[in-house]
Amino acid sequence: MTEAKEKKTEDIKKEAEEKNCTVQKALYYVSEFLSGPMCGRCFPCALGSYEAKVRLQRIAEGKAADADLIVLRNIADNMLEASMCKKGKDTARFILEWLGTDAYKEHIEGKCIAHECMALLEFKVIPEKCVMCGLCLDACRYSAIIGEKKKRFQLGYLPYEIRMARCVKCGDCVKVCPTEAIVIVDIKEKTVQTVQTV
Amino acid sequence: MANMVNLKIDGKEIKAPEGTNLIDAAELGGIHIPNLCYLKGLKGIGACRLCLVEIEGMKAPMIACTTRVKEGMVVNTKTEKVQEVRKFVIDLILSMHPLDCMTCTKAGACSLQNYAYDFEIKESSFTRKKFGFSIDEANPFIKRDPDYCVLCGRCVRVCKDQGTNVLEFMGRGVGSKVATAADKPLHESECTFCGSCVDVCPVNALLEADRWRKGREWDYDKVNSVCLLCGNGCDITVSTKDGQIMKINAGAAEGSPERYICAYGRFGFDCIEADNRVTAPMKRVNGELKETTWKDAIETIANALKKAGQNAGFITTAGILNEDALTLKKFASDAVKTKNVDTTASLYGDADTLISGSADLDSADLFVLVDLNPSQWKRVLPAIDAVIRRRVNAGAKLIVINSSEPKIASVATVNLIENEAEALMSLTKALLDKGLPGDKKLASDVSSATVSEAVDKAATLYMEAKNPVILSSPAMYQAAANISLLKGVTVSVPVESNAKGVVMMGLTTEGKSYKEMASGGLNLLYAIGEVPLNKRPNVDFLVVQTSHLTELAKQADIVLPSAAYLEIDGTVVDYLGRLKHVCKAVEPAGDAKSHREIFADIAKAMGTEIKEAKESETKKFTEVKVKASVAPFARKEGFDVKVDEMIESINASVINGSRLLWLKEAAVCA
Repeated sequence: MTEAKEKKTEDIKKEAEEKNCTVQKALYYVSEFLSGPMCGRCFPCALGSYEAKVRLQRIAEGKAADADLIVLRNIADNMLEASMCKKGKDTARFILEWLGTDAYKEHIEGKCIAHECMALLEFKVIPEKCVMCGLCLDACRYSAIIGEKKKRFQLGYLPYEIRMARCVKCGDCVKVCPTEAIVIVDIKEKTVQTVQTV
Repeated sequence: MANMVNLKIDGKEIKAPEGTNLIDAAELGGIHIPNLCYLKGLKGIGACRLCLVEIEGMKAPMIACTTRVKEGMVVNTKTEKVQEVRKFVIDLILSMHPLDCMTCTKAGACSLQNYAYDFEIKESSFTRKKFGFSIDEANPFIKRDPDYCVLCGRCVRVCKDQGTNVLEFMGRGVGSKVATAADKPLHESECTFCGSCVDVCPVNALLEADRWRKGREWDYDKVNSVCLLCGNGCDITVSTKDGQIMKINAGAAEGSPERYICAYGRFGFDCIEADNRVTAPMKRVNGELKETTWKDAIETIANALKKAGQNAGFITTAGILNEDALTLKKFASDAVKTKNVDTTASLYGDADTLISGSADLDSADLFVLVDLNPSQWKRVLPAIDAVIRRRVNAGAKLIVINSSEPKIASVATVNLIENEAEALMSLTKALLDKGLPGDKKLASDVSSATVSEAVDKAATLYMEAKNPVILSSPAMYQAAANISLLKGVTVSVPVESNAKGVVMMGLTTEGKSYKEMASGGLNLLYAIGEVPLNKRPNVDFLVVQTSHLTELAKQADIVLPSAAYLEIDGTVVDYLGRLKHVCKAVEPAGDAKSHREIFADIAKAMGTEIKEAKESETKKFTEVKVKASVAPFARKEGFDVKVDEMIESINASVINGSRLLWLKEAAVCA
């Protein structure tokens, strides 16, 4: 068998800690745990971590309510109590470690301060800053940007716009923009946040 | 008896044998510790975590299924902490289980439903998960619906333990399922359709295929009875509803290695309502069989028997009950006044070779299988195969002595594939050499034998064993019993369910033998049950008393309808010499009567009053002491039957009259 070597929980933990958003940390840990070292031999861990992943995804997508946080805490508490081995208990501990942070409440309100939960964000072009250079137009692989490249000494060009229906939030356009005209904003608030490269 | 340990569970003082786990110990005190994955008789695996209990002095809760009892232990099974975990697990399982209890066949007998009730879970508080696995219902025996599966793994473990090894988990965690190799349907796997998995499934994932709308657990009347289809005579539990059999389950005690029945025992009951059931007496008029009244049939037979007198003969299967056998014996000697009574048991054994000692298979730690070829796959003495494989999995050893290599030899510690008589002889010599005290005659008998390396190894195992059990074919029984003169017990395993019983009732060859009578020459032949005869022997008058219209019955002059198995009360003696009660589950079909009733009626018509034998009467005949004496190391002559062919032949109407026919037609099991 030439299967890829299974990840260890310590590695997963290390990789998860690199994330900025605490929801993403837990989601990454649980997802990797489920597809890797989870052995499936005892019910609380096997079924519990799956349910935890479902709930974390809801939180990351901004579809969650306060009840989800309560359920998540309940799952983690019980997993910690009843799992057969250390792996399950570690997963529960990891979820509990970050569950108390403010970010979870903010996600329910529809904000991801760390700008990692893409479902809560959208990309926007600031018209005043856009010089219609067309770099983003070329960079976007999904043809989500509408606009025409400006020809010199001609008038009548409009600043670019991003069609949200097509945008996959990959962030490629942000990287190429010379004037930092493309910004990430919270969907709920529609306010411009500090620009960060993703 | 093992040492008893005192402990306290939920404030109740309980005495349990040493080594018991907490679930079994609590059960002794009438306390149920919830569990889904625990299987009595097998080691706990602690997967479901429902059996968590708190033990005083321990920090964390412990799982009861793997924790052994200790003196002075104080256990609490219903603390808030563990109840919450249980509720959590049930809640999680419920989130991926269909919520159709209102039409579910397993309702009332479903562990998940019961626990959901206990923990007051109306519906799961977690996200609903649906998988839409395909249902495997391509065979007429077992329906597998993985959507209902709670992944407890009981079926996987029971299948592995008995050696069939068909089911296994596919994947892990949520979204995994129990499947056969390469996820093929059951009939394309090595499945024998014994249905052990159906017995252990706590939910509706594994169920008898025909159970839809045939009533639920609370609708059934249950009767404990015995399967009479082969020499094993397994315990069964028959569930009936409105006078019809709905299902049959294994009836041996939970946790016993004998809790197994094969496809014949579990699914053969359809034959009771088969098209070829004889429901009224029939008489040959102008070359054709026509229905007639009991009165007419009995008078005709009475006259014919009177005319034939000494020249009448009775042949019967050894699957009839003790009471029937004893009444037949009285009927033949007192009313008909003939000695020509014999059973099919005479084809493979006699009083000396069939009546043997008894053994406790639960505690046996060494099996010696002499000249037997049990196979779950061919359904030849399948329960012996299953018991041995289970015991071997639990650490017992197996020595196979056979001139051809049986399938079970693959799990044996030592195989002696050579002439059985010689192997037994050298084994005896090896045991005497190792210092077992034996009598002088035996020692001189075996002095010429040579001891090979394999035999020496077998002898060492035999010396080490605490409870060795020798299972032998009747033909080799006397030779094999020489070893049990030194140590252990020898059990002779017959082909038919009540072979030991009919012999104990005195139905042994006295006048003409079964073979002689079956080859013809009598004035009147009276065949009882499904005897392995397809062609009418050359006799003047043939009476066949049977439950189904067999090939022989079609050629008879008179056919009398007898009650089929599951339709009569009585007793049998199984292969281990245990007296077992056969209980009536349903009323006999049509005008059918029990064998003993028919004999008494005919005797009355002949002017002799005989009484139907009662259980109290037959019981004293079954209390036989086995004589132990040195016998020659040789196969007893005249007992060569092919066991697999004979079992198929005596069960022909059961197989052909029920869904078991599908097995033959599909020929799925090699």
